[in-house]
Amino acid sequence: MEVKRRNRTTLFRKRYDRNASLSRRASTRGRAAIWQARLTLLVMINIAQLWILSATIEAVLSGLVKQIVPLIIASAVCWLIALSIFLWWKPAERHD
Amino acid sequence: MTRDFQNTVNEILSDESDVRSASESYQAEFPYELEREFQVTRREFCNFLFLTSSALFLGSAATGAKLLMRSTAEPALVPQKISGAGDLQPGASINFAFPSENDSAILVRAANGNYYAFDQKCTHLTCPVYYSRENDRLECPCHEGGFDVHTGDVLYGPPPRPLPQIEVEERDGEIWAIGIKRKGNGSET
Repeated sequence: MEVKRRNRTTLFRKRYDRNASLSRRASTRGRAAIWQARLTLLVMINIAQLWILSATIEAVLSGLVKQIVPLIIASAVCWLIALSIFLWWKPAERHD
Repeated sequence: MTRDFQNTVNEILSDESDVRSASESYQAEFPYELEREFQVTRREFCNFLFLTSSALFLGSAATGAKLLMRSTAEPALVPQKISGAGDLQPGASINFAFPSENDSAILVRAANGNYYAFDQKCTHLTCPVYYSRENDRLECPCHEGGFDVHTGDVLYGPPPRPLPQIEVEERDGEIWAIGIKRKGNGSET
């Protein structure tokens, strides 16, 4: 009886460990995907801001005042998106 | 063996803040490293990208603000004598500063003997224009722009507006710059 109970406990533990391992692996993969997504978004935002900066410099050199404010606003929007990614779009902390 | 390997991979993937400690077992097996080993984690790279984004935003804002401040604070126009203009031969030009010392201008004495003065900065990307005696026009060497020497109008090339013309007048045999006349689409400074 005792042996049977122990076997069953072992079986449960093994099953639990396997499930926990699968869950952890899935979680790790999910975290990696989120980090990759953050990186990709930040790179895209940086490229857009580089373009905006070059357009701003060109507008300044040409003396096109009317183009300056929209360009600065566009750059600010990009920076705010980057800030939100930096502060909030993070993978959740692991609790196990 | 496979389980150890999987554990190490999991550690590396899960603990990006300290790659060296996560890959400690590999370092024990393969104990070669550079004196200043450089490893960048995704977390560090994200931080770097955010800092870059901040720098680009500040750069755009500062560059734009500089032009906006410059456009709102136009310097007062004080008539200035252009020294050396009296000796200028037809078909020759000299540079001078107007309205401030930082604003370069060009005075041209055309073949007809009249004086024409313009802001020397090309309206395309601020390169200095020069007087081409052979073609009797002002030319920008940077992007092949050309301006009429009598009016400052664009003859060819990428400049979007005519050159601002500096009004000159003769006083007692000397040439004076007295004002600036701007033409264009109204979006200039």
